[in-house]
Amino acid sequence: MKSIWENYNTEIAYDELMCSEFQPRQISYRLCQYLNSLNKEDIDRRKVAAELAILEMGISFTVYSDEGNIDRAWPFDIIPRIISTKEWRAVEKGLKQRLTALNCFIADVYDQQEFIKAGKMPAEIIASSKNFRKECIGIKPRHNVWANICGTDLVRDKDGVMYVLEDNLRVPSGVSYMLENRVITKRVFPELFQGLDILPIDDYPSQLQAMLSSLAPESIAKPTIVVLTPGIYNSAYFEHAFLAQQMGAQLVEGSDLVVNDDDCVYMRTIEGLEKVDVIYRRIDDDFLDPEVFRKDSTLGVPGLMRAWKAGNVSLANAPGAGVADDKVVYAYVPEMIRYYLNEEPILPNVKTFLCGDPEHLEYVLAHLAELVVKPANESGGYGMLVGPHATTKEVAEFRVIIQKNPRNYIAQPTLSISTAPTLCKGVLEPRHIDLRPFILQGKSTFVTAGGLTRVALKKGSLVVNSSQGGGSKDTWVINMEHD
Amino acid sequence: MLSRSAERLYWLARYIERTENIARLVSVHMNLLMDLPVGVEMGWQQLVRINAAELEFYAKYQSANERNVTHFLLTDNSYMGSLFSSLSAARENIRTSRDLLPDEAWEQVNEMYLFVKNNIESIHNRSNRAVLLKEILKGCQRFTGLLSGYMSHNNPYRFIRLGKNIERADMTSRILDLASLLLAESRSEDMRQYETILWVNILKSLNAQLMYRQHVRSSVNGDDVLNFLLQNTDLPRSIGCCLVNIAACINSLPNSDGLPAELVKLEAHVQAIETKGTTQVQLRSILDDLQNKLGELHNKIADNWFLRSSAE
Repeated sequence: MKSIWENYNTEIAYDELMCSEFQPRQISYRLCQYLNSLNKEDIDRRKVAAELAILEMGISFTVYSDEGNIDRAWPFDIIPRIISTKEWRAVEKGLKQRLTALNCFIADVYDQQEFIKAGKMPAEIIASSKNFRKECIGIKPRHNVWANICGTDLVRDKDGVMYVLEDNLRVPSGVSYMLENRVITKRVFPELFQGLDILPIDDYPSQLQAMLSSLAPESIAKPTIVVLTPGIYNSAYFEHAFLAQQMGAQLVEGSDLVVNDDDCVYMRTIEGLEKVDVIYRRIDDDFLDPEVFRKDSTLGVPGLMRAWKAGNVSLANAPGAGVADDKVVYAYVPEMIRYYLNEEPILPNVKTFLCGDPEHLEYVLAHLAELVVKPANESGGYGMLVGPHATTKEVAEFRVIIQKNPRNYIAQPTLSISTAPTLCKGVLEPRHIDLRPFILQGKSTFVTAGGLTRVALKKGSLVVNSSQGGGSKDTWVINMEHD
Repeated sequence: MLSRSAERLYWLARYIERTENIARLVSVHMNLLMDLPVGVEMGWQQLVRINAAELEFYAKYQSANERNVTHFLLTDNSYMGSLFSSLSAARENIRTSRDLLPDEAWEQVNEMYLFVKNNIESIHNRSNRAVLLKEILKGCQRFTGLLSGYMSHNNPYRFIRLGKNIERADMTSRILDLASLLLAESRSEDMRQYETILWVNILKSLNAQLMYRQHVRSSVNGDDVLNFLLQNTDLPRSIGCCLVNIAACINSLPNSDGLPAELVKLEAHVQAIETKGTTQVQLRSILDDLQNKLGELHNKIADNWFLRSSAE
């Protein structure tokens, strides 16, 4: 009988579960022992069970294409990814530190701009930022926290160190998949949850609800919370509905809300208008309020910014928080931590070259074939160049694109991001993965135990985004201290 | 509760009820036709008639045979009234109302949808079709049961109950339309011979046979069946009972305005219908009138509670 581990290659990059073809790491010892006790048919059966559960639970995401919008089943790999609690405690601390500094920075940008005055960052970076909203200057959201929900992407390089790749501070998505992945894994491998001390993750909706409640004025005992979705054609609609349902909040679309002359936000109910206190908005700034931002937006609510500025409604994340979700600003986060918190960063950044800096630009252009070049403000893995995987023609084209608008590009060394065993046609093969933990900040700060592990299902691919052939895995933070 | 959500739940319930009704209708009819001689007026074309879909049907098919009618009523996704279309519409409505319902409700509808979608080709075979219809009936019952057991009987639940009962009353009135055939003076000798079987079939289409026997305690006859299905207030699928349920929902909902009074009038109207010795023409006009009144009731519910894009 062929082993599912046959020819497992641990030489490609750091492997999360395996030291070598036959040697599991300490954290994955029990999992590997268990997997080895199953035969190929057992494993196939569990894979089929997982796929069926995904279909029946209707876990989907929407892909936009010329033939219309297609609801696709969420691609899931049944082999979990494992992290030790010991490592996780440090990462968690680092994530809290990072978001606290980022929020200090955003508050400062819309206030006195001390960071810039102190010479820590050139003023043009903010002036030229697409996500800087002058309408937000002088506003103080509750707890002076602007980014309440953050999804930070972490990757592990060949040195075994976890690096921060980016901070998603606009409308990060994926948390519902993190929760559903666990539900499926419990169904598929219930035996494993008996012998292992796996940290639970299903309190996220309660934590989110508590954080959102903490944004309402103190005088309101039971604030009315809504989740504002762009609607059923949005790729993350499943998640919007899921989170609303889990929190017991109302899921609303722009047309369900109205801002009256008293600058308060109301929703249209069967009992007439009902006041809304907190909006977890899953709509980008641009579409939020046609009175202030894009005039042609039909997704938003006219007057929403008026109501927010008057302090009559809280928006999470606050408009303008995206100013720190910029890959150029990213390069300054370690400095922010030192400046605002007077601490050393716990989680390292990836070395970043800013094309807006003439010296950096010169280096980048000379080393394009080795670097990863990314636009400063895109998400979803679009519009980037992976030097070592690109053709000479693509590299030449990108050279022209960067030179046209250097401020809008950054470059980083190509990381050898870590791999984890993934079930491919009945055998385990290493596939590249990343990790997106979610951090909540309101009155207090919360970090999920683990996060969403995304996996590039195509052999050799480094792109983990679901819109581009990525899948995901359950993520286990395992307490080894009892062993 | 959002007006938009109220509307979606109301339609969700109507579509699920319609799915269940079509499944039961086709399944009962299949059984009936096994008992009847070939050529009786009660053929497959009657199912198309009940759904008021003759025009649409004959635009696509030459003859109303078993294959064509079952295809049209069960799986034709270009016909809005087919079982698959109703189920797809129910799924779309529940997909967008998940914040108000228990998880299991969505999973139940989604499972049924996937089941029909994956077995759509198998329905031409009688025994496969019987299995599929049975699964659908079970699934719809499970859906109703789990909402009743898992969900607070709150305003969202009331809109579901409202939609379900309006759809139910409408379907009962359509099935009674079949009865008008039995009252036709011109009906054939064959038909007269099988009359009891046909009346029983009408009861079965509404899951009412056992309850009829317990309630009426006499042999099955036209007058009593009509009376039972129109005016009984205990049988879930009689029009009288649907109206009681509709009134209960409307009376508990906020801002019901003039609707409770309308309902009192409608209930009185139904109870005043004379069901003894009704002729075919009289029954037709009673049913047409009832269907119009249910349509008006729907419009008033929509005006009262649902999202009107122009309304401020």
